[in-house]
Amino acid sequence: MAYRSWNAQGGEGVIMHPLTRLVTFFAALGGLVACQTDMPPLAAAGATSESPFLIGPQPGTDRPIARPVNPYAGNTAVLADGRRLFNWYNCSGCHGDHGGGGMGPSLRDSLWYYGGDDAAIFASITEGRQHGMPAWGVKIPQDQRWRIVTYIKSMRTPNEQDPPR
Amino acid sequence: MTSIRGMVLAVSAAISLAAVSACKTGNAQQRDTARARKGVQPKTQVASLSGNTSAESAAVLPAGALSTQGTGEWWMPGRDYSGSRYSTLNDINTSNVANLKVATTFSTGVLHGHEGQPLVVGSTMYVVTPYPNLLYAIDLTKPGGVLRWVYTPPTSARAVGIACCDIINRGAVYADGKIVYSTLDAQTVAVNAATGKEVWRVRVGDINIGETITGAPLVVKGKVIVGNSGAELGVRGYVVALDLGSGKQVWKAYSTGPDADVLIGPEFKPFYPRDRGTDLGVKTWTKDQWKLGGGTVWGWISYDPETNSLYYATANPGVWNPDLRPGDNKWSITLFSRDPDNGHAKWAYQFVKHDAWDYDEIMENILVDMPFNGQQRKLLIHPGRTGFVYTFDRTTGELLNAEKFQPTNWALRVDTKTGEHIEDPTKRTHEGVVTRDICPSSTGAKDQQPSAFSLRTGLLYIPAHNVCMDYEGVEANYIAGTPYLGASVKMFPGPGGYRGELVAWDPIHAKPVCSVKEDLPLWSGVLATAGDVVFYGTMDGWFRAIDAHTCAQLWSFKTGSGIIGNPIAYKGPDGKEYIAVYSGVGGWMGAVAFPDVSIDDPYTALGVAGAVPDIKQKTGMGGMLYVFTL
Repeated sequence: MAYRSWNAQGGEGVIMHPLTRLVTFFAALGGLVACQTDMPPLAAAGATSESPFLIGPQPGTDRPIARPVNPYAGNTAVLADGRRLFNWYNCSGCHGDHGGGGMGPSLRDSLWYYGGDDAAIFASITEGRQHGMPAWGVKIPQDQRWRIVTYIKSMRTPNEQDPPR
Repeated sequence: MTSIRGMVLAVSAAISLAAVSACKTGNAQQRDTARARKGVQPKTQVASLSGNTSAESAAVLPAGALSTQGTGEWWMPGRDYSGSRYSTLNDINTSNVANLKVATTFSTGVLHGHEGQPLVVGSTMYVVTPYPNLLYAIDLTKPGGVLRWVYTPPTSARAVGIACCDIINRGAVYADGKIVYSTLDAQTVAVNAATGKEVWRVRVGDINIGETITGAPLVVKGKVIVGNSGAELGVRGYVVALDLGSGKQVWKAYSTGPDADVLIGPEFKPFYPRDRGTDLGVKTWTKDQWKLGGGTVWGWISYDPETNSLYYATANPGVWNPDLRPGDNKWSITLFSRDPDNGHAKWAYQFVKHDAWDYDEIMENILVDMPFNGQQRKLLIHPGRTGFVYTFDRTTGELLNAEKFQPTNWALRVDTKTGEHIEDPTKRTHEGVVTRDICPSSTGAKDQQPSAFSLRTGLLYIPAHNVCMDYEGVEANYIAGTPYLGASVKMFPGPGGYRGELVAWDPIHAKPVCSVKEDLPLWSGVLATAGDVVFYGTMDGWFRAIDAHTCAQLWSFKTGSGIIGNPIAYKGPDGKEYIAVYSGVGGWMGAVAFPDVSIDDPYTALGVAGAVPDIKQKTGMGGMLYVFTL
């Protein structure tokens, strides 16, 4: 099956082979993960005892684990781009135009099934979650995932881009 | 209002099929059809219905070829092939319904929206839950009903995030000793009705490309008719027929693409020139857009045994932004008549060409035979999302009338000579433009919740919505298995100070006879009975009984959660009449009640949050079966 890719104006589409499309898609959106130069330190997803993704309670602090740090935390300059990517990758389709929920849970409220700090949201986007959240690590470059995290964290704050009206 | 009360109603062949006495052996399906042909009810008063032979004696559960439903049973989603949701039981009637009491309750253990309806076969009730799609068999001979068994289908939880509008299921069908239904992750299963053991399970669709199944199947002549869901995710719609014995696919009819895929051939004879031509499922799209073109079949299926015709209508075209898909976009939003033996199309009528509002028309098609302008006609009544109720001649596809039943401004009227809607061009939506105050909203003047047709009053009882919207087409990016939407929608209450209405509609004169206005949009189905009582529920949990002639409220009961299920009537093993309904808010609109949906974003849940933000204060989640009796 051929896939249709729409240009930014939403006009005529171009039919591409899925593989061609995937490559073009990534290239157009700022490069593959390997091309990123400003990548924060991060353990490989799925690492065992050193996994940085802490979802459950933490039984003592004998062995502190390095957690990934959002390079854009508090950086309002990336919010517009985060908002754009939130729509571009269809996050808005499931989580609502402004993150209020629908097919997927609200991202605006205080309820987080898998943790609500930057690292946990980053992990949910990267790895996917069992009730249908895709594992976007295979599609969205790491830098863009952090921009999306930063936008999500801005919801219901004075800095929210394009807030719902 | 009572002018048609004494009218001569012929019972549709489909209904009479359900009423003939049981036949137990051999090629039962063929014999059913033959009986139905002979058994078309005389064109006398509806009282002839009460002459139905009760088949309860044959329906004590199931081993073997039990093929005919008794008057006190409920074997298929709409009770009969015509989708009437009319029960001939009349022990509960206008004189005593005020005394209705809870007989028993049953928690399904699932919190999400409970659409659909239970089945009653012999002395067993069958309940299918929302995902994880458990099937409960409840022994009605035991006081309060006792669980006989539960079947848990192996499913993938990933389907939860693929379903557009809550994780609902619209029910099962019983045939030939099997309970057949579909799972959210797009499998269809057949379960032995006596033992709860799986007979077969087949994968129909693929969640990785956004396909789910929420609709209830219908069994016709040994074939299970199943349609897919997912038109919000770039899914290409279809219907498949599976062999009832094995689950093997017999035929598959797509809603878009070349005629060979749509099963359009020489026998295809649409009534209107606008629906004629070759390969319109390709030519009415830009390039290959039809491959992501929607037109799924997630609603209700009807069947007329006399003419051997299946009826169903298709969903919205893929991607809600109309500017991304120039053309008529056939066969989205289209009513099909098909031959169930081979799937070949007999006729089609596209309600809305080049949809710009998500007027997805998968609603019920109720088949009745009635006099129309002095002539006995085989009718198909389709209450539409568009705001119009359409009455067709179901043998030809001719539209006999179409009138508005709720505030509707996108179209002024329908020209029955050409089949075209006369539109207001200012309400057509486009990319980059917010088109304001469109009525009805994408959720329609009604959605999937099925109407009921009373054979005694000749009226259709429609659960309606009065909600309007602002709509903007936006760019869309196809990523398999994720929404392919391309629209930003914000809904709000329509004019008149009400959001829901139960409308009693006269299909011959195309006008309302009486109605009940409700605060919240009605998302429950309707039941009509020979006791001249009509039952429905509200999204804040009230279950109501009204007089079928006057719409006067006769009884009301507050259930634990909002009602979006469809009530049924049945006769218990003790000989008493019972009314059953699910309580459990959810579905597209009802999802706003969920704790993980935020109402400070009115665009939430495809825009419905703006229409019902107050629902959070009015109900909460919870899945429960309620059964009532005198």
